[in-house]
Amino acid sequence: MSRLVLDEVSRTFPGVRGGPPTRALEPTSLAVADNDFICLLGPSGCGKSTLLRIVAGLDRPTTGRVTLDGAPVTAPGADRGMVFQSYTLFPWLTVEQNIRFGLREQGLSTAEQTRIAAHYIARVGLEGFERHYPKMLSGGMQQRTALARALANDPKILLLDEPFGALDNQTRSLMQELLLGIWESDRKTVLFVTHDIDEAIFMANRVAVMTARPGRIKRELVIDLPQRASSRAHGPRQRTGPASGARRSGPPNGTSARPRSSTAGAPAAGAAVEAEVAGPSSNS
Amino acid sequence: MRPLVPVSTATKVLLGVGFFVVFFAAWTAATLGGYVNRTFLADPLTMAVAGWRLLSVHGFARDIGVTIWRVFGGFALAAIVGVPLGIAMGAWKPIEAFFEPFISFARYLPASGFIPLLILWAGIGEAEKLLLIFIGSFFQLVLMVAVTVGSTRRDLVEAAYTLGARASGIVGRVLLPSSAPTIAETLRLVLGWAWTYVIVAELIGASSGIGHMITDSQALLDTGQIIFGIVVIGVIGLVSDYLFKTLNQRLFPWSLA
Repeated sequence: MSRLVLDEVSRTFPGVRGGPPTRALEPTSLAVADNDFICLLGPSGCGKSTLLRIVAGLDRPTTGRVTLDGAPVTAPGADRGMVFQSYTLFPWLTVEQNIRFGLREQGLSTAEQTRIAAHYIARVGLEGFERHYPKMLSGGMQQRTALARALANDPKILLLDEPFGALDNQTRSLMQELLLGIWESDRKTVLFVTHDIDEAIFMANRVAVMTARPGRIKRELVIDLPQRASSRAHGPRQRTGPASGARRSGPPNGTSARPRSSTAGAPAAGAAVEAEVAGPSSNS
Repeated sequence: MRPLVPVSTATKVLLGVGFFVVFFAAWTAATLGGYVNRTFLADPLTMAVAGWRLLSVHGFARDIGVTIWRVFGGFALAAIVGVPLGIAMGAWKPIEAFFEPFISFARYLPASGFIPLLILWAGIGEAEKLLLIFIGSFFQLVLMVAVTVGSTRRDLVEAAYTLGARASGIVGRVLLPSSAPTIAETLRLVLGWAWTYVIVAELIGASSGIGHMITDSQALLDTGQIIFGIVVIGVIGLVSDYLFKTLNQRLFPWSLA
């Protein structure tokens, strides 16, 4: 059953100083099912962030509509948790207070807030940093806190807008595995925006490849990595092992052969995604 | 010297005190050395003696107390009305559209130009002094607070919305805490302006206060007392500024670099 449905959603920004309006997103449809992990993959300016912001309710579509569990999305709400690419922790709150922010807005008791915050602090591995202010944390730790803050609200769907884009390679790998572990154990539904082919194939069970000018979903691909299938049978613990092994099978500090080495387990899927992103728009 | 390289605390204090020493030495040399006529500028020794006489014989301490109370009274009035109005203007655009043009206009009205009117309306008592300080600081304060609140990081506001915050939560738990350190700094700045207005208020139609003492000394051509009065204001300003700064650092540890 689809939880989130985008029906012919488009977005046109008004022209600047009498210029022509900009069509950021052509009418686009997408259905996200329960426990899906969908990556919106595409270059800068393809409208993937606009699409995510519309789902979050931070932007309104020019045409079309978005529904979550049948209810139309018109404004932001706690049922759609979001992690931004920029660091958006509240700098005046500690790590723990940041994670409690949404719970407090919902009016939960202090005891409940404390219990849930402690759970997610442990979940993202931030024990011992509860009293730290955001600027005392590294970028990776700030994004861990932002992830915990979004998860604490127990949203129906988690929206991530290039959340690891500003992190170094090692931290990004750790964060990817952390997010996958949470997705698998907590049965979350995730919509993840990235421009990184490698990341999209590694993370998603479905990739929506987008193109720029016009911004639209060109093709949806199901990613069925063997590791993923085995991990589903054996639980999240084992999943990270073989997956990260395959992922790091390439040259240790090489940045060139990235997509192919990472998709060694599923060359067909990797090649297909690459063709979609790099090739001329007619070959789909 | 390489640009932007910080200095140690000891060096900083030494350099800061150093200029006072240089300034004092130049003043002493100019006056005691006979380069400047004593009628125009008293030497430091004469100033110190005049100050001691003021404090011990003429009850100058009471004048200082009166001036401090006027400054903080007028400043508190401006802050109590101005900060909430500025926050409302920063948060809600219709309110800003309603008040902003008038306040921008009123900001340029010279406060000291109001003195004759204020004397007519409020007499030459305390109300007139407080009102003058209020006029001098209120409009500036409102605009600066409104700009601070209005320029809250939009991504923080959006993050709060996605966490389920509603309008009251956005204002009370995002706009306010994120602007608080800058508002406190604005208050510190405006307090300094209040000090310049209190002396203007006391120069005309006052029977007490540091400004009143300075006009009295003008009649006697006692430059020693005038300079002592100015120095006292400077010292009080320096101390209150330091206290304000320390308080802000205590209240908002997260905003320190």
